Amino acid sequence: MDKHKPAPKFLNLLQIELPPGGIASIAHRVSGVLMFLSIPLVAWLFGLSLQDEQGYRAALDYLQCLPLRLLSLLLVWSLAHHLLAGLRHLFLDLEIGISRTRARTSAWVVNLGALALTVVYLGIWL
Amino acid sequence: MAVSRAAQGLRAWLLQRFTAVYLAIYLLAMTASLLIRGVADYSAWRDHFGEPLTGVLTAMFAMAVLLHVWVGMRDVLIDYIHAVWLRLSLLAVFGLVLFGSLLWVLRALALAALPGVN
Repeated sequence: MDKHKPAPKFLNLLQIELPPGGIASIAHRVSGVLMFLSIPLVAWLFGLSLQDEQGYRAALDYLQCLPLRLLSLLLVWSLAHHLLAGLRHLFLDLEIGISRTRARTSAWVVNLGALALTVVYLGIWL
Repeated sequence: MAVSRAAQGLRAWLLQRFTAVYLAIYLLAMTASLLIRGVADYSAWRDHFGEPLTGVLTAMFAMAVLLHVWVGMRDVLIDYIHAVWLRLSLLAVFGLVLFGSLLWVLRALALAALPGVN
């Protein structure tokens, strides 16, 4: 932490050292947008799966294909991160855990917890 | 409407949090319920969502998702899209996509709840 480091004149993403809370925050946003973009596909698959026996099988078959497997992995991470980061946000709104050390710790828990849940999913599903 | 944060900031802020709480509870409860039941085939899957309580809770979930995503995407657009005409156009497209998806889910739930439709 050099106090005399000049203020950045442009956003160099490779030089910005985001604190854990910053990572949790931008990932909260990215995961939300990812889930938003997949809503039509998920809604369609859900409808297909409930339609009839054939639709149910077709939906399961679609979920087995590689692109959808990868997407489901991404969405599991998105959901896990968004949920954990959202809960952290709600607690911070209630002024619970707002000290710098506790907020940093909870940010680490969110960032790593989401990855851990994704690995668990990877172990079950793929 | 929906152009500036100040105009409807608090309402959107509250809506975002209320829906978040419902979404979190539903997701945890539904995941647990599906894991405990162990849905193995189509009839079990359909019976699950065809139940009145599950159907209503899931319909409420879909509506809460719509509201939550609407506020979230509005915030994202306000932050990154500065041309008002483009921001409003995207917001309109997002609204149509979300509303269409919601109706699609509600239709699926209604069909699952009605015995002998398919």
